[in-house]
Amino acid sequence: MSKRLLNALEYPQVDSLDLNDENTFRKVIAWTEMNRIQRAPPNIVNILKNINARDWQEVYTDYKDRMGCPALSSKLEELHWLLGYAVQLETQKNRNVYLKHAVENLQSTNVVPSVVAENLLDKLDFRCKEFADGINELAKTLKTAPHPDPFVTLKAVRKVITKRLAPDCVANPQNYILTGTPFPIQDADLGFDLNNATLNQAAKILRMLYIQDLRDLQTKANELIVAVQGVTANPKTDTKLGQVGY
Amino acid sequence: MVVRQYQQELEYLEKITPYSWRIKKGFQPNMNVEGVFYVNQTLEKLMLDELRNACRPGMVGGFLPGVKQIANVAALPGIVGRSVGLPDVHSGYGFAIGNMAAFDMDNPDSIVSPGGVGFDINCGVRLLRTNLFEKDVMPVKEELAQSLFDHIPVGVGSKGIIPMNARDLEEALEMGMDWSLREGYIWAEDKEHCEEYGRMLNADPSKVSVRAKKRGLPQLGTLGAGNHYAEIQVVEEIYDKSAASKMGIEEQGQICVMIHSGSRGFGHQVATDALVQMEKAMKRDNIETNDRQLACARIHSQEGQDYLKSMAAAANFAWVNRSSMTFLSRQAFAKKFGMTPDDLDMHVIYDVSHNIAKVEEHIVDGKPRTLLVHRKGSTRAFPPHHPLIPVDYQLTGQPVLIGGTMGTCSYVLTGTEQGMLETFGSTCHGAGRALSRAKSRRNLDYQEVLRKLDYMGISIRVASPKLVMEEAPESYKNVTDVVNTCHAAGISKKCIKLRPIAVIKG
Repeated sequence: MSKRLLNALEYPQVDSLDLNDENTFRKVIAWTEMNRIQRAPPNIVNILKNINARDWQEVYTDYKDRMGCPALSSKLEELHWLLGYAVQLETQKNRNVYLKHAVENLQSTNVVPSVVAENLLDKLDFRCKEFADGINELAKTLKTAPHPDPFVTLKAVRKVITKRLAPDCVANPQNYILTGTPFPIQDADLGFDLNNATLNQAAKILRMLYIQDLRDLQTKANELIVAVQGVTANPKTDTKLGQVGY
Repeated sequence: MVVRQYQQELEYLEKITPYSWRIKKGFQPNMNVEGVFYVNQTLEKLMLDELRNACRPGMVGGFLPGVKQIANVAALPGIVGRSVGLPDVHSGYGFAIGNMAAFDMDNPDSIVSPGGVGFDINCGVRLLRTNLFEKDVMPVKEELAQSLFDHIPVGVGSKGIIPMNARDLEEALEMGMDWSLREGYIWAEDKEHCEEYGRMLNADPSKVSVRAKKRGLPQLGTLGAGNHYAEIQVVEEIYDKSAASKMGIEEQGQICVMIHSGSRGFGHQVATDALVQMEKAMKRDNIETNDRQLACARIHSQEGQDYLKSMAAAANFAWVNRSSMTFLSRQAFAKKFGMTPDDLDMHVIYDVSHNIAKVEEHIVDGKPRTLLVHRKGSTRAFPPHHPLIPVDYQLTGQPVLIGGTMGTCSYVLTGTEQGMLETFGSTCHGAGRALSRAKSRRNLDYQEVLRKLDYMGISIRVASPKLVMEEAPESYKNVTDVVNTCHAAGISKKCIKLRPIAVIKG
């Protein structure tokens, strides 16, 4: 973990470091103070810099206490704390930069989801009977027809929940639930014949879904036109212009 | 031309179903394909009488009978399928009115003809619905008719009241209904419920003569004269309840507004200019036709392309025109009822063109082909699920608006699969003339015509009453015969019948 912090602090060649080695340890402490933390007085820095100094250990103990490092059981833990402290200082220094990029970073993670360390769903067995039963139960409650593949059912259930059980939809259902006069689609002309009643039925359903998509698109186009009209429209009539009526 | 006796002529005609007749090759010279026309018993008699009259000795000059014109169109280069005469067919300039013909875009010899579109380019019908009922409107009927008459400029030489300058016109010619939308005269849903979404994309105003633009500018937003009208109508009968419901028509007695208008002097000038160009092109490319009126040019020639681009501009003019009148009608209703057009639910049900040529995909002999479809006095009627009809009508098929004549009924039909196969998705457009304008003027008295309308309880506001007999129901074929023939032949399906209670005319 300490190596990740060192990476974040841009310490050179982190991968080949052996932090258990006393010399390496001292070098890292000195580098971190001089380049990142920069809070110790010059006399201490001078001694930390000289990793072969006889009183290095004493000065280091003094230094870590000054920085506010709590009492820890090993030197490596102390190093880890100091590195963490350095990262914290760095982050604060560049706070505005990080905040600005946060949105973009979040978006990029949405496109390619990074591995979330502890996601309970990762451990779920999606093929087990318990899962399938649960999903079917949920579908039944939401009055959704179950599909043999529980994943497909789950997708349908998700759609119902996000579309119909969103807080705004529950509060104002009239804004979301379409009303209209029923149309006898069974008598409607399909336009072609697949010589199979089931296939024809399926084709009819596809037609309906397509028409719904098209309606959505047309509604959006109309909304766009109306928005533009808000800027350009200025209808006028001038009855003086022409002879109107006789 | 061959001169034959009526009996000899009949040998070339064959009744193939109770509602359609085949015109065999040889009826007119050089026919590339056969012709067909749709009639019921009554219309059949009118059709054959017209032919018989033309066969009488000494009958030369004037318009050819409709059936001969259909056959002449079948002789044009590049025609595919059949030359189709719809039930309302009657003689016109070159092509009969009520004739549709499709030409193969991939055949270099194929032609485009202004006569196949007509002079009133993109003349068409638009239907608005309301949530009012007959009982709401009857007490204020006269005032409402007057209010509409006051808002919509009508008659020969009338001028629009929507301010337009030359630059606005250029933009409108290019943008069609998108112009009306941008300026805020209409609603987004109007565009959705219009053939071609109210804009021909290939329109090029630079191909239109200055003269046409000068004629067009003051006329934009005017109804015009002739057979054009705005009517307040009542739903009298619903034949297909679920299709009607998709159009927002729920019950008998519901009030609708029908607007029948076109591209006014602008379209006329575009067509006139094109005819001059085409006569030159015909000489140059050695195109032979049976009738001088069938002036045409190859689709891919300069003249052909120029015509299609200027025709598209005229089509856009007509859509802006109908849109402006939609705006004015909404204003008139809103003022009269003290409610917004939104509250009155004054949505456009549909807007059809019945004088236009369009590039469309069709299946011919089992293969998909790109065709230039001429519809003159013929309405596009696409079946359910066709990609070019609005999403709201995907299940019902395209609404087809059939305007009746003054004082008679109008209909809403829907397109069918059979129509797509038999007539390239086309059907009738209205009643169709039975008497010529001159004959009507001679035979009918205008006061009598107005009295009759009054007796039927129809309010009328008319700019030039002395011409009203030209448009009297007696001058036309019976629209119910025409619509029933289309329904029985299966090329479109009856949905709603409308009856007028007030008429505004030029």
